[in-house]
Amino acid sequence: MSDSTPFLKVNSVTRRFGGVVAVDNVSFELQRGELFGLIGPNGAGKTTLFNIITGLTAPTAGQINFRGQDITRFPPHRIATLGIARTFQNIRLWSNLSALQNVMIARHTHTRVGVVSGVLGLPGAAAEERKTRERALEILELLGLVDRLDERSRNLSYGDQRRLEIARALALEPQLLLLDEPAAGMNPNEKQTLSDFIRQLREQFDLTILIIEHHVPLVMGLCNRVAVLDFGELIALGDPFQVQNDPAVIEAYLGDETALDKTKPRTRVRK
Amino acid sequence: MSMNEFLSTYGALIVGMVLAAILALSLYLPLMAGQLSLASPGFYALGGYIAAVLSTKVLLQNGQAISPFPVHLLLFEMLLAGIIAGLLAVLVGVLALRLRGIYLALATIAFVEILRVLSLNLDITGGAIGIFSIPQPFTNAIQYLLIAAPLLLLSAAFVYRLERVRAGRALLAIREDELAADTMGINPTFYKVAAFTLGAALASMVGALSAHFLNTWNARQGTFDASIAYLAFVLVGGSRTFLGPIAGGMLLTALPEFLRAVAGIGGLPGWLSQFLREGRLIIDGLLIVLVTIYFPQGLITPDLFKRRRKAAEKKES
Repeated sequence: MSDSTPFLKVNSVTRRFGGVVAVDNVSFELQRGELFGLIGPNGAGKTTLFNIITGLTAPTAGQINFRGQDITRFPPHRIATLGIARTFQNIRLWSNLSALQNVMIARHTHTRVGVVSGVLGLPGAAAEERKTRERALEILELLGLVDRLDERSRNLSYGDQRRLEIARALALEPQLLLLDEPAAGMNPNEKQTLSDFIRQLREQFDLTILIIEHHVPLVMGLCNRVAVLDFGELIALGDPFQVQNDPAVIEAYLGDETALDKTKPRTRVRK
Repeated sequence: MSMNEFLSTYGALIVGMVLAAILALSLYLPLMAGQLSLASPGFYALGGYIAAVLSTKVLLQNGQAISPFPVHLLLFEMLLAGIIAGLLAVLVGVLALRLRGIYLALATIAFVEILRVLSLNLDITGGAIGIFSIPQPFTNAIQYLLIAAPLLLLSAAFVYRLERVRAGRALLAIREDELAADTMGINPTFYKVAAFTLGAALASMVGALSAHFLNTWNARQGTFDASIAYLAFVLVGGSRTFLGPIAGGMLLTALPEFLRAVAGIGGLPGWLSQFLREGRLIIDGLLIVLVTIYFPQGLITPDLFKRRRKAAEKKES
């Protein structure tokens, strides 16, 4: 990969659901090692864009390139194998399995023992199993979950579940980590801790991170670049300061927050 | 009652219970990946026909079926039945496992029906009459345990280990959340088809053994009724640990015999003893309803063991 090839390239991606355009001709590029924020009001298409990058939703038009490879039509498990891991906004842990199992399962692409040698417990398989367990324990330790490892993940507290999702994603040893509202439901203190933690993760695991977040101060303090989506369109892209003062962004956000009747659906302002 | 008397009276029942337990496990394998497949009776019937045709038409001595039938040939039939069913299962699985939940169940019932109608109309399967005088490797029923019991132990041990290794955990992840499993690098189609195939091979092997055990084989062996009966094994026994289906299969196979014995006790009103003797399907249905209401996860659940372990730990400390 030459230096000029972007790490991740989102190229004119559009996704329609019937008459709704969830993502509308969005393009941006990520450089290796960036901490990139994706913000926008509810329903702006952020999660849909995540689903497109990870292969869960096919784009109606456009391509996704990861390290020079077109991954647009790849199934999710193949994209994961290439080194893209994610968390989910509405936590999707394997809820009846233990915290340890959740993380061990995410080592799937880095392990290879087949059914027969695994079931028979042949020496190679036993060694790999031991290594998988050790690696999973290290990651749980890092996330401060090591004392809950035998707990079924659905019995964990909300914050622990969010942390376990990050642990699971890290177990995949991704190069690109997509975090979908990791700070949802946390108090300002926890948000600050999380923000520091994400920065530490990037250093420690040499990650490129794409993060969706509602909490604007967190994104502004954490990310080196920010993209803003509104009604599926990319309305701003740049460093946090630039974006924060962009009139289009102010309108999208203030238009939302000053509305007295919050239940009233926002109507689109045509330019 | 002497031991010999007991075995000659209940030998067939005991073997039937063991075979039912293995068939229940064949349903449990795809269920580990969350796939409710009712195709087992179809593969069971297929395996039976393979053994019946081989032993009455192919593996002959002086133009006649070999009697007593050599055990190594029986094992060979079972192996062949397992392989053929496995290959067919890959084909069926790739097509059917696009469907989920109740739709998959319906598609697999349709598969069982297709095989049944085929066996009713083909010459090689003996049409509606089926195949009879299938040669016996053993002189009495209980000796079939020599094969059935190791098969149950091996398949149970297999499933027990599977839940604790990479491939089995991938199945559990798919059961818990297929989409999350997919995004974590697990190929759901591959693992679902693999689990379906293993279940099919197991059911087919039981079929091959059963054909000799029952002496005749016909289109009544793989039916919709059987699909529901096997489903009941899993529902009543429990589908979250492999011990559930085993217990369910044994219990529901023994139940009619037990009820018959109860019906024989003197002093019962006539209608009640008749109901106990002949109301098997009604009682099965009632049991499914009651278990589903009061034990939605089945009689045997993983928590059962956890709780006991925790209680034991408390006692110690």
